[in-house]
Amino acid sequence: MVGIMVSYSRETLEGLASSAKSATELAPKLHCLRNLRRDLQKEASVFPTELLPLLFDLLSDQFGAVRKFVAEVLGEIGLKYVELLPEIVPLLIKSHKDETPAVARQVIVCGTDLFRSTLERVAVQGLHSSELDELLESSWTWMIKFKDEICSLAFKQGNSGVKLCAMKFVEALILLYTPDPSGSLEPPSHEGIQADFNISMLRGGHPVLNIGDLSIEASQKLGLLLDQLRHPAAKSLNSSTIIVLINSLSAVAKKRPAYCGRILPVLLSLDPLSFLNGVHAAAANLALKTVFLSCLKCTHPAAAPDRLIGALKEIEGGGRTDKAEDLFYKTNGSIQDKDSVEDTKVPLEENPLCVSSLVAESTFGRKRSGSEYNIDGNGDALSGKRARIIPSVSGESTEGLNGNDVGSLPLVASTSAGPNKSRVVSDTGPVQQLVAMFGALVAQGEKAIGSLEILISSISADLLADVVMANMQNIPPDDTSYADGTDDLVMNMCIVGSDAQIKYPPSFLAGVLSLSTAFPPISALINRNIPKKENAGEELCADHVDQQMFSAEDAVLASGLPASSDTFPVNEEGNIVFPPNVHYRGNIEGGIPGMDSSAQNDVLLEASVTSVLGSTNVEAASMNQDASFSGEPLLAVIPSVSVDKSEEFSPKTTGTGCNSLVSSTATSLVSAPQFVLPKISAPVVDLSDEEKDNLQKLVFLRIVEAYKQISMSGGSQLRFSLLAQLGIEFPSELDPWKILQEHILSDYLSHEGHELTVRVLYRLYGEAEAEQDFFSSTTAASAYETFLLTVAEALRDSFPPSDKSLSKLLGDSPFLPKSVLKLLESFCCPGSCDKVEKDLQNGDRVTQGLSAVWSLILTRPGIRNDCLEIALQSAVHHLEEIRMKAIRLVANKLYSLSFITQQIEEFAKDKLFSVVGCISSERGDGETLIDDCKKKDLDMENPPKKSQSVSGVGMDTSSEARSSTSVAEAQRCLSLYFALCTKKHALFVHVFSIYKDASDPVKQAIHRQIPILVRTMGSSSELLKIIADPPSGSENLLLQVLQTLTEGPMPSSELIHTIRKLFDTRIKDVEIIFPILPFLPRDDVLRIFPHLVNLPTEKFQVALSRVLQGSSQSGPVLSPSEVLIAIHSIDPARDGIPLKQVTDACNTCFAQRQIFTQQVLAGVLNQLVQQIPLPMLFMRTVLQAIGAFPALSDFILEILSRLVSKQIWKDPKLWVGFLKCAQSTQPQSYKVLLQLPPPQLGNALTKISALRAPLTAHASQPEIRSSLPRSTLAVLGLVPDSQGTQTSQVQASETQTSQGQQQASESQQTSQSQQVSVPLSHSETDHQETSQVVATQSQSSPIGTGMSETSQSQSSPVGAGQSELSQDTQVSDSNPPATTSHTQTSDSQSSNQTHADDEKIDDTAASENETMEVEKSKESSAEEEE
Amino acid sequence: MRFRYAMVCSSNQNRSMEAHALLKRQGLDVASYGTGSHVKLPGPSVREPNVYDFGTPYKQMFDELRRKDPELYKRNGILQMLKRNLSVKLAPQRWQDNAGDGVFDVVMTFEEKVFDSVLEDLNNREQPLMKTILVMNLEVKDNHEEAAIGGRLALELCQEIEGNEAWEDTIDDIVAGFEKQHRRKLVYSISFY
Repeated sequence: MVGIMVSYSRETLEGLASSAKSATELAPKLHCLRNLRRDLQKEASVFPTELLPLLFDLLSDQFGAVRKFVAEVLGEIGLKYVELLPEIVPLLIKSHKDETPAVARQVIVCGTDLFRSTLERVAVQGLHSSELDELLESSWTWMIKFKDEICSLAFKQGNSGVKLCAMKFVEALILLYTPDPSGSLEPPSHEGIQADFNISMLRGGHPVLNIGDLSIEASQKLGLLLDQLRHPAAKSLNSSTIIVLINSLSAVAKKRPAYCGRILPVLLSLDPLSFLNGVHAAAANLALKTVFLSCLKCTHPAAAPDRLIGALKEIEGGGRTDKAEDLFYKTNGSIQDKDSVEDTKVPLEENPLCVSSLVAESTFGRKRSGSEYNIDGNGDALSGKRARIIPSVSGESTEGLNGNDVGSLPLVASTSAGPNKSRVVSDTGPVQQLVAMFGALVAQGEKAIGSLEILISSISADLLADVVMANMQNIPPDDTSYADGTDDLVMNMCIVGSDAQIKYPPSFLAGVLSLSTAFPPISALINRNIPKKENAGEELCADHVDQQMFSAEDAVLASGLPASSDTFPVNEEGNIVFPPNVHYRGNIEGGIPGMDSSAQNDVLLEASVTSVLGSTNVEAASMNQDASFSGEPLLAVIPSVSVDKSEEFSPKTTGTGCNSLVSSTATSLVSAPQFVLPKISAPVVDLSDEEKDNLQKLVFLRIVEAYKQISMSGGSQLRFSLLAQLGIEFPSELDPWKILQEHILSDYLSHEGHELTVRVLYRLYGEAEAEQDFFSSTTAASAYETFLLTVAEALRDSFPPSDKSLSKLLGDSPFLPKSVLKLLESFCCPGSCDKVEKDLQNGDRVTQGLSAVWSLILTRPGIRNDCLEIALQSAVHHLEEIRMKAIRLVANKLYSLSFITQQIEEFAKDKLFSVVGCISSERGDGETLIDDCKKKDLDMENPPKKSQSVSGVGMDTSSEARSSTSVAEAQRCLSLYFALCTKKHALFVHVFSIYKDASDPVKQAIHRQIPILVRTMGSSSELLKIIADPPSGSENLLLQVLQTLTEGPMPSSELIHTIRKLFDTRIKDVEIIFPILPFLPRDDVLRIFPHLVNLPTEKFQVALSRVLQGSSQSGPVLSPSEVLIAIHSIDPARDGIPLKQVTDACNTCFAQRQIFTQQVLAGVLNQLVQQIPLPMLFMRTVLQAIGAFPALSDFILEILSRLVSKQIWKDPKLWVGFLKCAQSTQPQSYKVLLQLPPPQLGNALTKISALRAPLTAHASQPEIRSSLPRSTLAVLGLVPDSQGTQTSQVQASETQTSQGQQQASESQQTSQSQQVSVPLSHSETDHQETSQVVATQSQSSPIGTGMSETSQSQSSPVGAGQSELSQDTQVSDSNPPATTSHTQTSDSQSSNQTHADDEKIDDTAASENETMEVEKSKESSAEEEE
Repeated sequence: MRFRYAMVCSSNQNRSMEAHALLKRQGLDVASYGTGSHVKLPGPSVREPNVYDFGTPYKQMFDELRRKDPELYKRNGILQMLKRNLSVKLAPQRWQDNAGDGVFDVVMTFEEKVFDSVLEDLNNREQPLMKTILVMNLEVKDNHEEAAIGGRLALELCQEIEGNEAWEDTIDDIVAGFEKQHRRKLVYSISFY
């Protein structure tokens, strides 16, 4: 059945193996192998050898994972079927060089197991028989080969993961080859379990293994390992190798303490920093540290704790050495305690009371802590430090014992006996192991001499001495071996150690022991090294005061001294001890009231309170006690002295007192029994939790309340620290913080509230940051937050905003949590409007908050961003008052700080752009809003009207409300940016760029701000740069900017230049020039004047006023007359300006009579009339002048007569105007009319027939009639026209012409031919060269006639005027007729005069009339000449 | 290469659990432990921590603290933390008591004390397997914010290690790279199972 099973499974296994081999993928291969392994583990019987080759084949599989797995399986097979080892191991040896590290590692791991098991088998088999079986022997041979391979790998230079494993193998090898001191010496009965295997079970006569050889090999291997860490070699190692090396070595050192002496020096001298850097050094250092720390726990003498601590100090830079020392002392101390307990086992059995006291003591050796550890009132403080002294004490005392002064130190000897013994025992831990080792080696006889030598050479001399001494224990006790006088001593020791103790109460024993340990070496005492003793005494006194103990102490003395009286001669005097003892007791009890006197109330309460607090009072008191205690044993001997001494309170005097006592005792008495100082225990009152809390609270309150006294005495700093510390220590139910807060806030100033608060905050912050436990830091952090917040809020509520306390507190706090920042924020950005209005001091609050924020930003880089955020939020607050304050801070103070400039700018820019963004999104609501905006645009100038027009639509009201709020909103967002613009003008460009897309309310907001802003900025170069290149769509804004810029004093030439340039190149809108009009040079203004005229009337008015007004410095740019002349010099066709605009401009001027006065007009007309050709609008202006100033009529007549001389009739338009003028100025104009040549007169009368009758009547007056030529009279019909045909002909032709013109104007359908013919006839009669004129006239006639009809009454036709001008020029230039030549000269003369007159006009109005008269006379004389 | 990770802090509450949760979410094979003697959580004051034994389910702590003072424990983030923890595993585990949990490849500790404890524990164990274990210490302050940062760093580090065939050969570079990148000190040691 079994066979079948076997065969079955064998087939299966083979199948699995071959399928694993044949599979090409990794996953199925591994799957097969896993199954194979599982089956193998199940299989209990003989291994199928056929399987091996298959597995061996798989060892060279392509996949690393497969090879690794196979190696693992082979290892298991090897462990199970030893007989296969000779086959398996060679392959493993081959495989350890596998290129995949994981495979190699696996091979080493398997090999280690195989090696160990084989070694065990060999060892065990060799024990039982002298021959090994062949198979095992060959296995062993192979294993040795394997071992050598791996070892060479481990010691090879290089760094690899495989090497780590190899080194681990070496470690295992060393451990295997050396005896385990802690293991059993007995050989296992059969094949033992791994852990129990110990090479020391090998005895001599093993056929293969020799324990000495093995030790030597192990030692060599260890040497090789150590060599790697020695200096130059270690350089080439990487840190993981070093770590593993160090760890391995430490493991060896720990498990085989005998090697400590070799390993530790190497490790200690290893200084990774010298050859490694960075990470590697850190890692290596860390490993070293770990090792050293663990070695410190090792009690082997070779461990050299001092050097370890030193090395640790070096590594840690002092950080962790405290811990190391603690650790060391703790372990040693505890061992001591343990041992001392063991040591006193015998007496303990006899006296159960002793057990408790000693156990209590030993616990104290381990954990020294406060009041919690009062076990039965035997509170003793045997700290590790004092425990450490013990060896030396005992050593010294031993010397003392062997010395001469035997009798003088009986008690000392007795007390030191315990520790002395215990030390021996304590040291035997490792020493014992060595002893055992020596024993084992010695037991082997001569064979082991070599090993012994190695062992001896490897341990230090000290250690060897210890071993020898330890071994002496094994020598049976023999009294005779001790020398002479010491007999008594030994006896004495026995008595004290055992019998005598029966009589002693446990407390005494504890006291004695603790003192003996607590005190410095006896030798120090002998040397009178009192201060040391004092220190010890102080430490003692740090313990609790227990009144109850005093009686016990007395009892101790009472019973103790008689007990020793048997053995010492001193004891006879010991009888005298009693009275002083009583004295002493009283003294001590007196000490407590003394302490009370410093406090005030309840004795017990106060005592424990002070003891808890460790206040100076208590210190003093304990010093006092100290003095009395140290004196106490002396009291036992010399009462009188001690009484004196106990009255001395100063510890120093105590010291000297002791000193003198020592000397005195040394002389008067035998010697030092007085140094056995019974220990004083503290009074321990067990309080319930509630009572404790109560006490603590009272304490706390007391300190809090004592501020007056304390501050007077100058201890307030201490008090602050104390309160802060206690606050942390006390449980939260007491709520110490609240008490403190109440105290602080009850009178912040006089209670030094700030200092105390800051102290508390720092303490709490330190607690929170101290990287302690999660819970303590979290608790402290929340306490911190609450405390700061409470105080801050209270300061806010109780102090006026002008107070600086809060700001100071925030500035001094170590850290500002979010809640406090929020509080600050509530200052700077108060939330709801209602609340704000209620709080009258609100504005000041904001100032307070902002100034706090400001100082925080300056002084606290850590929370700078948070604070800045607050300030910025405040700067866009919806309330203007707050906003302006914040903006002032941000723009004036913060913006100039380079580290936050960028942030502020970004924020402001965001806000600026958000305005555009949010408005555009609002627009998305519906189109109604846009419509609304448009409407508003239209109605901008007339808001009430707008609201009426809008009110019709229901929805509009709401949207209007929205838009009005959004003006405020826009302003809210923009103000900060504008403020920044004043600081950095370049920012202003963004305002321009958003302007185009900005909605109406935003624009409004911008416009509202611009004047202030621009005025502040002035015309800086940055601003000019912006102006020079404004983004399209920002014209309105630009206009306002310019306006503002030019409002003040004289604008800079750069500005003017920029604007001019802008106007010339980019913006054709002449409005842009407006602001600088007054500052432009006259010529420039004249040049652009046509543009001005072309503006709508209102704007022209504005421009006009600017031009006339000019700037304050340079006076008016143009005088009114110049303006008028400029207007008249505009040629509509040439300048592309509609005639209507020009006439409107004229009208505008005439409308302003106070500027364009009579005199001005006269001057202007005077100038105009001299222009050749006459301005087109001249007659119109003359007419207007007559209309406006009737008083000018005389002057006008002058003009008219001059026009006659200029042959006004040649220009039809002006001729019409002339006639109109004459008509409107009749009858004065008759004179002028009569000056006309007869044909023209006839024409005039034909045109305005209404003139004929009055003119004829005028002319018929005899004196006039006589002066008139006959032809004229003929025209008037005063004489029959028989005179000459020529005249009539001319007249006829004239009539024809005028008729033709009339016809044309009336019918409005004049053909070109007719027009042409008319002038032809006209020119034929007058001039010879009119053909040219005709041509010109005919060309322009279509327009001219078209216009003429409309303008007949008021304005002169364009076309006609034009042709007139050209005609006139030609006429005058080319062919001046004889008649006109004179006129021309006189004209030019008079024009000169007029110019002069013009200047006079400005000066005096009075001279005006005279000049006019002069002119008149001159002109009339000219006519007469003609 | 698939490694097994252990995250260890002192109480197995905050830092190790933060990292545990994070690594678990990233699909890494991870466990977490504490090395302290007890599980301590903040209480109403420094002197009154809430002390639990390891093995006390997170749920139980959660319920208890919520009953005690929901306001306090919500404010200091304890409840949220416990809630997170109870979704990750049942109860805090002590490193020293869970040697039976199997072989880890990488142990991350977040405090030097913990690091030392882990190493000490590992060194005190028998090391029959001769299998390397990487123990790394990343100092992380014991508060919620730092724990979150520490968790992320731990994850990054583990993923880096995960990307290597055998960390034994590359660990120095990994550590050096990490220190350079994050400006945080990272110490490691190697022990054996």
